[in-house]
Amino acid sequence: MSVRSEPLVGSARPARRAASLGVWLDRQSVFSWLMMTPPLLFLAALVGYPFCYGILLSLQDRPVAHIGTFVGLKNFMTDFKDAIFWRVTLNTFVYTAIATVLKMVGGLALALAMNQQFPMKNLVRALMLLPFIVPTVLSTVAWMWILDPAFSVFNWFLIALGVPKPGPSWLGNPLLAMGSIIVINTWRGLPFYGITLLAGLQTVPPELYEAATIDGAGGWQRFRYVTLPLLQPIILIVTLFSVIFTFADFQLVYVLTHGGPQNATQLFATYAFDIAMGAGQLGLGASVALTMLPALALLIVALTIYLRRG
Amino acid sequence: MHATSRRRFLELAGLGAAATAIGPRPAAAQSKSLTFLHESSFIKTFDEYFQKTLAPAYQKETGVKVNYELTSVGSLPTRISTIAETGSGADVTMTFFLLPFLFDEKLLDVSDIAEEAGKKQGGWYDSAREAGIVNGKWKVVPFSNIGQLMNWRTDWFAEVGFKKFPETWEELYEAGKKLKAKDHPFGFELGHGFGDNHGWIYPLLWSYGGHEVEADGKTVVIDSDETARAIDFARKFFRDTMLDDVLGWTDVSNNKAFFAEQISCTNNAESILWLGKRDFPEIAKVTDQAQNPAGPKGRFHIMSAISHGIFNFSPQKEEARAFLRWLTDEKQLGGWYASADTYYQPLLHGYDKAPMWDVEPRNIPYRDALANAHLLGWPAPPSRHLAESVAKYVIVDMFAKACAGAPTKEAIKSAEVQLKEIYRAV
Repeated sequence: MSVRSEPLVGSARPARRAASLGVWLDRQSVFSWLMMTPPLLFLAALVGYPFCYGILLSLQDRPVAHIGTFVGLKNFMTDFKDAIFWRVTLNTFVYTAIATVLKMVGGLALALAMNQQFPMKNLVRALMLLPFIVPTVLSTVAWMWILDPAFSVFNWFLIALGVPKPGPSWLGNPLLAMGSIIVINTWRGLPFYGITLLAGLQTVPPELYEAATIDGAGGWQRFRYVTLPLLQPIILIVTLFSVIFTFADFQLVYVLTHGGPQNATQLFATYAFDIAMGAGQLGLGASVALTMLPALALLIVALTIYLRRG
Repeated sequence: MHATSRRRFLELAGLGAAATAIGPRPAAAQSKSLTFLHESSFIKTFDEYFQKTLAPAYQKETGVKVNYELTSVGSLPTRISTIAETGSGADVTMTFFLLPFLFDEKLLDVSDIAEEAGKKQGGWYDSAREAGIVNGKWKVVPFSNIGQLMNWRTDWFAEVGFKKFPETWEELYEAGKKLKAKDHPFGFELGHGFGDNHGWIYPLLWSYGGHEVEADGKTVVIDSDETARAIDFARKFFRDTMLDDVLGWTDVSNNKAFFAEQISCTNNAESILWLGKRDFPEIAKVTDQAQNPAGPKGRFHIMSAISHGIFNFSPQKEEARAFLRWLTDEKQLGGWYASADTYYQPLLHGYDKAPMWDVEPRNIPYRDALANAHLLGWPAPPSRHLAESVAKYVIVDMFAKACAGAPTKEAIKSAEVQLKEIYRAV
């Protein structure tokens, strides 16, 4: 026994230390931080760092592959004097506003339709998601053909109705080009709205509809006073996401028009990319991209406050 | 149990991380190797020739393995930016257009290689010097031009009495008017593409005597009678010969329209004829290529040079130099050019009579165009300001605006305001 007692005493210390480490780790405050640290580091590295670096770049005269010099807000002043920049700002707001409204109204209609009983409901719901699933670049190439006057199904239809050949130039006319990219963005974003609102619709308790019907409410009144108020928080969240995505849209314009004709479809993201990558002016490009921030931030703050209050 | 599994999780996670950190790494440089960055070629056999013939030959000769890294079409500027900013990723790189001037501080002086090649292979074209020399030093060794010339339908032109391609812009306009009346309009890109818009707009401006900036690289001279005349011509050229859709075109559009037999003439690289011979032989039979028409001040083409440079942060500068010198030797260059017919037009006079020009005589105008080809922005030397003007489509949009209906003065004025802002700091 005495022979064994020595090592026992010796090994008791690390065992106790391990036990206390275990207890320490088990503490809620410690454990929760331990679990949160990796995602926080991840966020800091992949979102925080580029964001701060972007701000730093926007304050520098920084040609690619050259050392930058601090110039304060000069890049922003240059942007504000640039007529194209204001065109881009207007384009981005028009594009985002119209596309978001169309997606909201269309998405709600889609969700209401999908919430009805009809044959092969599940298959139709799955198919509805296709525009959202297909990679943007791929679907944009398909649209490129659809909007080419020589091959366009729209032009074929219009010419059959008597419009003179070759019919409208969808991407050559500034107004039609903006209209076209809004329609494509809506087409692509509709399923996101539709499926999210559909999920929301399915959580509305049927008793509420029954009660409203008993009280004498018609179809429109049930929608206006039961469905819409209950869907409101979901509509807000989807709109928030949609505005952010649409505002910063890049691929669609880059592939389809590259901002043409004469900058009629140029958006913040594509313009910033051209300046930063095409012209190698990283500072100026960053400043264009950053001007998106205040508008988006205001919107996000407003929506968040509204949601919390609700 | 709950506590144990948490702890167990942490232990496992820790072990995993440690294993990744100390695990086997690829043995560093067992044999010497270089990374050679290139943009995917439109001509498949061109990339294959390097991968299957040149790279193995170099490895056999020197023991150095050359990794031929291909980036997708259009992504080269982004890739080079990343490499130059991080200081790693490639040793030797392809460049085009204005890239040598944007990245000059990250490129080695390769004057010795370029001068030697010039001496041995018949001397450089002047346009090659324009494309490769930055501040008096060759920062890249020019490889070739990818010319932008006229692609036209011989059958339809003949129908309106033109057996040969018109010599001047005015004559081309006359042909175009007749052809549009016969439902064979022209299609010259006026949108935000990259090559097919610049390919005819800058030469048109130059051939009327217009320039955006003086040779001093800072005096904006776009507001001139010459520019106004070029714009007035472009407006009627657009109105009376073209499809309206060209205003929204990108670089793919004119190829599509040519093969859909929608247009009778466009400005493009050799790729239309090349693709026609492969996929649309009937159209290829009635397709020909010609130099850009001349204006009152001469005939011009754009120089879209492809070159090769060495990054100055490469840990293997000497190996990279040796490789580039070997690649620039006649033995290697000749075979590589020939692998793509004449899609890449050599910038050394030594190849002016090379057998590759006999393969397709319709390509010969691409060689002859080298004599009056210039980089965008000529006669101003290339600079970051010029790159900004090109990226903002200042000149293209000046013409496009006028073609879409804006008065000439207004189109010139807005371009001038933009250019003055861009060149303000010079």
